[in-house]
Amino acid sequence: MTGRARSYNTEGVILRRRNLGEADSIFTVFSAREGKFDAIARGVRKPRSHMRGHLEPLTRSQLHLAQGRNLDVFTQAETIAAYRAVRDDLDRLALALYCCELVDRFTVERAPQPLLYDLLNELLEGLDSDAPLTIGRAFELRILSLSGFEIQLSACALCGSRIPEGDTLFSAMAGGLVCDPCRPKAETGRLLSVRAIKVLRFARSATIGQFAGLRLDEALEREVQRALADAIRQVLDRETNAGRYVDSLARPLRDTGRTAAGDVQWSPPSGS
Amino acid sequence: MADGTSTPEPIQRLIEAFHRLPGVGPKSAQRLAYHILRAPEQEARALSDALLDVKRRIRLCSVCMNITEQDPCTYCADERRDHTTICVVEQALDLLAIERSGYRGLYHVLHGVLNPMDGVGPEDIRVRELIVRLQDGVAQEVIMATNPSLEGEATAMLIQRLIGPAGVKVTRLARGLPSGADLEYTDDVTLARALEGRRELV
Ligand SMILES: [Zn+2]
Ligand SMILES: [Zn+2]
Repeated sequence: MTGRARSYNTEGVILRRRNLGEADSIFTVFSAREGKFDAIARGVRKPRSHMRGHLEPLTRSQLHLAQGRNLDVFTQAETIAAYRAVRDDLDRLALALYCCELVDRFTVERAPQPLLYDLLNELLEGLDSDAPLTIGRAFELRILSLSGFEIQLSACALCGSRIPEGDTLFSAMAGGLVCDPCRPKAETGRLLSVRAIKVLRFARSATIGQFAGLRLDEALEREVQRALADAIRQVLDRETNAGRYVDSLARPLRDTGRTAAGDVQWSPPSGS
Repeated sequence: MADGTSTPEPIQRLIEAFHRLPGVGPKSAQRLAYHILRAPEQEARALSDALLDVKRRIRLCSVCMNITEQDPCTYCADERRDHTTICVVEQALDLLAIERSGYRGLYHVLHGVLNPMDGVGPEDIRVRELIVRLQDGVAQEVIMATNPSLEGEATAMLIQRLIGPAGVKVTRLARGLPSGADLEYTDDVTLARALEGRRELV
């Protein structure tokens, strides 16, 4: 390395890793100060690499980088939070990876988003302690609004009039709740119960920690989840990879043929 | 490259073919292509025969999914090996590493790991074959020897969940291995120790 190379420090969460060549990897980092960026770690896959454990996806680390010609290069990394409990539970891990994928999809390179950074760490801290998996819903709602896709929950998304208390049409395409008179104008949507609407309104203003204290029964959570999934699909224009994975874990696994071994079941590939 | 257009098409094609191989950059691909160009014809023929032979004669063992010339493979066909233990690895190269450590049970090669972010799900690797294989009730223990990376751990947890109801003991290599390690690059002593210290997945 030449002495002239510019270097900098930044704190960030590792969103993903891609292997490069024999021993290198490219990591996507979401940093508090720099926003999202890719950087390369040379020799990180060799057994004696000092940086390896500090650059695992989902790790929050203090990173030292040197500016490179194309990609910046990691020179050092130290773990701030490994979120170890998240890695030891398949459902928590799947949800954490899904949220990281959302961050990756909702952000552009080198555009700092400190509020979203805090939100991601709040989520990971929640999953690392014993917050319920429903905090994923709060994360979905908040990443939408932090990215400028606020869901209309008080006024009709089409005409702006106040939404009276009651079950109401939710249209992701319209951008939120749609009042009864406007219903014919909304192309698609699903009916949301008063309870689901209240959960969404609460998620809008609550912290992840506060949302974790909310008791949601399964049916209610599924209702909220479907509405948010609609909204996210509307923005991203396609399914998330990890999202499909979370679904496949939640879905009861389908049959490989019942056997003496019991209920060994299998979920077939979706889509193909 | 300035001379890009003047490179004859067959050489360009060879360079591109080499470049597609893992770990081969554009410069190395170019060097390899020009090496073949200068080499005697037998050398080129030997290489192309070897390439085609691999594709024609090597297949996956129908039991353990290891790459093999005969089916079942030599490990699965060997009666002296412990048929009650199955060691699950990500790739065939990892199997060789485990074998060097002195392990003498059977194997299962997944040919990949779950990678939710890149859309690699359980149906994209050889998990199903493992579940089906366990149904004969011979295996008493499944040792998860996936890499101690996030993807490797996720794969181990998923397999644990899928075979949990089958009543087979599932163990995981001990963390003698540094997190994020590649089995392929791990030394034999570390690996042997990790095998001894395996623990049951709960
Ligand atoms: Zn309206
Ligand atoms: Zn075999």
